[in-house]
Amino acid sequence: MPVKVMFVQLASCWGCHQSLLDLHETLADVLPQLEIVFWHTVVDYKLHDVEKLPDGSVDVGFTEGFCRTEEDLHLLKLARQKCKLLVSYGTCSTYGSIPSLLNLYPIEEALSRKFKEAESVVEGRIPDKHVPKMLEHVKPNREYVKYDLFLPGCPPEPPLIAGVVTSLLKGETPKLKERTLCDECPRVKSDVIVLKKVKRDFEGIPEPEKCLLEQGYICMGPATREGCGAVCTSAGVPCKGCMGPGPNVMDQGAKMLSALASIVDYESVSPEDLVKAVKDVVGTFSRFTLPSSIIPKAVFKKK
Amino acid sequence: MDGDFEPKILGIFCNWCSYAGADMAGTSRMQYPPNVRIVRVLCSGRVDPQFVLKAFELGADGVLVAGCHPGDCHYVKGNYRAERRIALLKEMIKQLGIEPERLMLKWISASEGAELVKTTEEFLTVIKELGPSPLRKKS
Ligand code: SF4
Ligand code: SF4
Ligand code: SF4
Ligand code: FES
Repeated sequence: MPVKVMFVQLASCWGCHQSLLDLHETLADVLPQLEIVFWHTVVDYKLHDVEKLPDGSVDVGFTEGFCRTEEDLHLLKLARQKCKLLVSYGTCSTYGSIPSLLNLYPIEEALSRKFKEAESVVEGRIPDKHVPKMLEHVKPNREYVKYDLFLPGCPPEPPLIAGVVTSLLKGETPKLKERTLCDECPRVKSDVIVLKKVKRDFEGIPEPEKCLLEQGYICMGPATREGCGAVCTSAGVPCKGCMGPGPNVMDQGAKMLSALASIVDYESVSPEDLVKAVKDVVGTFSRFTLPSSIIPKAVFKKK
Repeated sequence: MDGDFEPKILGIFCNWCSYAGADMAGTSRMQYPPNVRIVRVLCSGRVDPQFVLKAFELGADGVLVAGCHPGDCHYVKGNYRAERRIALLKEMIKQLGIEPERLMLKWISASEGAELVKTTEEFLTVIKELGPSPLRKKS
């Protein structure tokens, strides 16, 4: 009997679904075993198609994205109701990811920026008819509904997805690797790191084999969970932390901030130099996890 | 309203210098404001930024981290780490809408009981002027 699945898109960029399609030939083995009952980003399903499904009748549901509007929240709750097993698919769904950095601004300001002030807008107005109400800020989906499995990544890498889907089809509980990214990163590391200078990504060309952090680039590896196969660092790009916090890390941003501060050479890098080199502290260290951080959003002075 | 405001301040003090400094103040019968609740850690370099954020999340109006003077850290570099962490953390909380002045780092040695009293009193004044933390749960 085919396994009944549904794919739900909340507020997201579709990148996670795209990554699913990047499974290429593997999809050919997997698809015949699936009965897709809802995938509104690909086929014209409507909300009532989900609403009319009996509760608990879908074997597995995947949610991409976070809740930005009341409609997203409604759909998320429906998905939980209809699915036996719910998978948080991707970093938006699991931690909030990059678009949730909007938690640093009041929602009114964000709406005004997008619909009225953006350079491309002429006679803009904030849409208020036939649109669902915006939620004040982004919370991780798990604060709204219970999940059975988290599959992070922005987007999750195809081999990671393949592993999870294959074990689900066998009726097994998928087990994700849980060490830090540095553990699976092939770059050569020394025991002691002392940075004479913190570099921005665009400065110089990284040496091909040496750990990027040791070369002065802000690589989030030490605070990040493994599982992506260290795709970025293998290609010479410092990790931005998209897999979310590593083991025993409560706050990925705070952890990386801490790590970086402890490896700079105190004679060459003053506290001010360090702040200057990082520039955007939240955007650098908590890029993917602000809504799941200890302080998940900015507080605003009442006008 | 604000006249009744009694700030809650968390002090995180290193065992070898600043905590000993607080002891010194105590044994010399110097008073420091009871608003400061002190937690002892072995070194200011042990102050995980997560502790500081958690304190603010739980409603602290101010956090005072204190350690040995430069060159005096018993673990050699702990206080230099703390200095850089606090600098970055101040930026982080600023972006999160919390006044960076609510976080303070100070070097206080074991013999500086008076300095401890002065620091805590001054910090209390700063926090009183700022008012309750924007993260304080309304009760
Ligand atoms: S996790 Fe990344 S790829 Fe997936 S929807 Fe969010 S932003 Fe896009
Ligand atoms: S810090 Fe980055 S480059 Fe270095 S080992 Fe860790 S993941 Fe690899
Ligand atoms: S290396 Fe870092 S940023 Fe790149 S995919 Fe892996 S976790 Fe994400
Ligand atoms: S022992 Fe006091 S700061 Fe390190």
